[in-house]
Amino acid sequence: MRVRILRQESPTAEPYWESFCYDGPTETSVAGMLDHLNFHDDILNDAGQKTRRIAWECSCMQGTCGACAMVINGMPALACDTFLRDLVAGRPEEEIVLRPLSKFPVIRDLVVDRASIQDNLKRSDVFIGSYQPMDDESFSHQYEAAKCLKCGLCLEVCPNYTNGNAFFGAVFANDCYLVHARNREKSREIKQTYARHFGSACSKSLSCMDVCPMRIPTIASMARLNRRVR
Amino acid sequence: MREALVIGSGIAGLSCAVRCAEQNMHVTLVSPHPSERAQSVMAAGGINAVTARCDEGDSVACHIEDTLKGGSWLGGKTAVTGLCTHAEDIITYLESIGTVFTIDRQGRPLRRAFGGQSHKRTYFCGSSTGKQIVSALVMEARRHEAAGTIVRRLHLHFHSALIEDGVCYGALLFDELRRVLVPINASAVVMATGGQNALFGKTTGSVLCDGYAAGRLFMQGALLKNLEFVQFHPTTLETDQKRMLVTEAVRGEGGRLFYEDGGRRVYFMEEKYGPGGNLMTRDVISREIYTTGREVLLDISFLNERLIDQRLQEVRDLCLKYRGIDVLTQPIPVAPSVHFFMGGLAVHLNHETSIERLYAVGECASMYHGANRLGGNSLLAAIYSGWVAADDLCQRADTRRRPVFAQAIAREQNRFAATFDSQSSFPVTYMRDMLADVMNEHMGIIRTEEGLAEGVESVEYYQSIADRIHYDPSVSAYANYSLTGILATAHASLSCALARKESRGAHYRSDAPQSRDDYAYSTLVSYDDGTYHTWLDREQAYES
Ligand SMILES: Cc1cc2nc3c(=O)[nH]c(=O)nc-3n(C[C@H](O)[C@H](O)[C@H](O)COP(=O)(O)OP(=O)(O)OC[C@H]3O[C@@H](n4cnc5c(N)ncnc54)[C@H](O)[C@@H]3O)c2cc1C
Ligand code: SF4
Ligand code: FES
Repeated sequence: MRVRILRQESPTAEPYWESFCYDGPTETSVAGMLDHLNFHDDILNDAGQKTRRIAWECSCMQGTCGACAMVINGMPALACDTFLRDLVAGRPEEEIVLRPLSKFPVIRDLVVDRASIQDNLKRSDVFIGSYQPMDDESFSHQYEAAKCLKCGLCLEVCPNYTNGNAFFGAVFANDCYLVHARNREKSREIKQTYARHFGSACSKSLSCMDVCPMRIPTIASMARLNRRVR
Repeated sequence: MREALVIGSGIAGLSCAVRCAEQNMHVTLVSPHPSERAQSVMAAGGINAVTARCDEGDSVACHIEDTLKGGSWLGGKTAVTGLCTHAEDIITYLESIGTVFTIDRQGRPLRRAFGGQSHKRTYFCGSSTGKQIVSALVMEARRHEAAGTIVRRLHLHFHSALIEDGVCYGALLFDELRRVLVPINASAVVMATGGQNALFGKTTGSVLCDGYAAGRLFMQGALLKNLEFVQFHPTTLETDQKRMLVTEAVRGEGGRLFYEDGGRRVYFMEEKYGPGGNLMTRDVISREIYTTGREVLLDISFLNERLIDQRLQEVRDLCLKYRGIDVLTQPIPVAPSVHFFMGGLAVHLNHETSIERLYAVGECASMYHGANRLGGNSLLAAIYSGWVAADDLCQRADTRRRPVFAQAIAREQNRFAATFDSQSSFPVTYMRDMLADVMNEHMGIIRTEEGLAEGVESVEYYQSIADRIHYDPSVSAYANYSLTGILATAHASLSCALARKESRGAHYRSDAPQSRDDYAYSTLVSYDDGTYHTWLDREQAYES
């Protein structure tokens, strides 16, 4: 199986493509495959030349931490939760193409700097303050929204998200919802913040929900935050 | 004190930072990655507490008793009493910052039963307790970030502490974006870097928990404690990428362990321990599985499909996704795996290490759990330890002395920069793999004097090579410089296990299978220029 990877040695270096031949187990995920390629005395590319080990980020290796987000065959996904069997279904000659998330600066190979996700939440004051929950807010939706991994897959796929300077994306909407649900006094303020950095520019393509590994129904957060500011 | 530096932003680091900020202390919270990547998010089961709404017959005294007993009486009574007494406050606090606990019809948090406990006292958030707590704490930290009391810095890895005459004044950190070492001065430093999974390679936990920080501090003079006590989870599913935890609930619902012998199923746990055999404690089952020397399977195919989907849906999904196993028709192959570390940096009751003004909290500290941990007690300990350290350092006077480390820092920076120029063809990843093999072979579920001594010999050999290989440019600088610290933690762990010539809790020696009264103390280990010295803490200097 051929694997083509968009590589970059450092934040300022030029990106380039490099291909590898993968002959490890197919009953594994893209993360397992990357481990396989890396764990040899030497790592060789498909021309048999010695090359650098592939840098990628991981922590939990079971789809619960968001570290390994990347673009796999054109789709934003978690490497540890995307299986080779689904990518090459019956066509082992198929190529697997990996590249880093494009909406964040690259640190090295498939590792990107997603600090803007946290920075945007911080600079727009998305925190609860005092806990005064809304009476009618569903616990189950709060539970779902709080599962957000801050992985950034929703931002990668979103047609309206570019660099996070003004429009902050689905990840932002879900945290805004949590503030709304947990502090009724801050609800008005947070709805305005939400409108400024999300509501007013979202074109509702909702592709964010398709790629979300936690299956967070962002649309439910949006519906609640779009209710008129009372 | 004026400012604290907290290193690591899992539940323990976050709790400590927020608690400091509440007391108007200025905190710098550093970690290589955001909190969402910390192992804390993986904790599924729950957090223990006896509250006013507890089961009939339960009490804080029962929780204390269960914890001490579970830890084979090595946990300190004063420490454990503090932990269990504050558990109710911790649940109330977590609710007040918006943690989404699973609730009953009246909106009150529910509790579930967990192994080793006399009553049902584990509070939980669906199947993602740790994640829900992290989400709530991150928002709290953000509030203090907005107020300027907490400053969070990402992409920073611990390198070493700035220590003079047994007092800590800050730390050197590796900035992975700029590829340089940066010093951060502080009135106190709090380590919250988690357990030491990487010693064993694939475990149930996060690969970010590597034991480097503890090892490096050990080499700088901090004492480590109880490293021989490593908890194995008996039922994990081996996959190509990691060992996945198969929850105890599977056996709770009736799951049966067996192996096959000439076409016959041998239900070895039931044969040896009777009908409740599958529900024995984690260490007993781990040892029995290991002793069979065969592939052990866990069967739930006889359970009703509806029940499986209602209560064990995640296990069903996990087996199908990672191994293509349908639990309705096939048994699950299981094997024990490293899961939790009772040992770590030795800390006093205030969570200060043997180095003044250097604290340790969460799983990187050794406290409360003695020789074995009860499920649900570690999340509790992560939060409580963060609070204890914060309260202690906030009320302490600042030192007037501020030694200048400029020269030492410059020396370290130069040495570090020079390593980038060297090329080594010996991959660090390879060394880590070999270390994991040694640890799994010699410091596994059943240990012997001979095996442990062999383990020490191998690690000493790797240490001698690690000093000679310089830099493998093909992996990150952190992966390179962390190797010596990781090897030191491994060496110290083997030394502790070698010194404990008895069996207790999670430490089992087949050449000394009984517990001995003269060993009823914690093990301490120190480092002096390559010499590892162990002794028993008979005076209870570190945990009482
Ligand atoms: C699968 C699983 C399930 C579990 N379930 C439960 C449960 O149900 N109940 C329970 O009580 N416990 C459970 N535990 C245990 C519990 O999750 C941990 O003990 C607890 O989360 C530890 O928290 P911590 O803050 O100490 O460390 P962690 O959450 O591991 O955080 C460590 C932090 O340190 C940082 N760090 C690491 N190295 C460095 C370095 N060199 N420099 C700078 N920063 C560094 C990391 O990035 C991270 O931010 C479970 C563990 C696992 C693996
Ligand atoms: S909303 Fe979903 S896709 Fe977006 S950051 Fe959160 S978990 Fe990732
Ligand atoms: S490594 Fe945690 S989601 Fe992939």
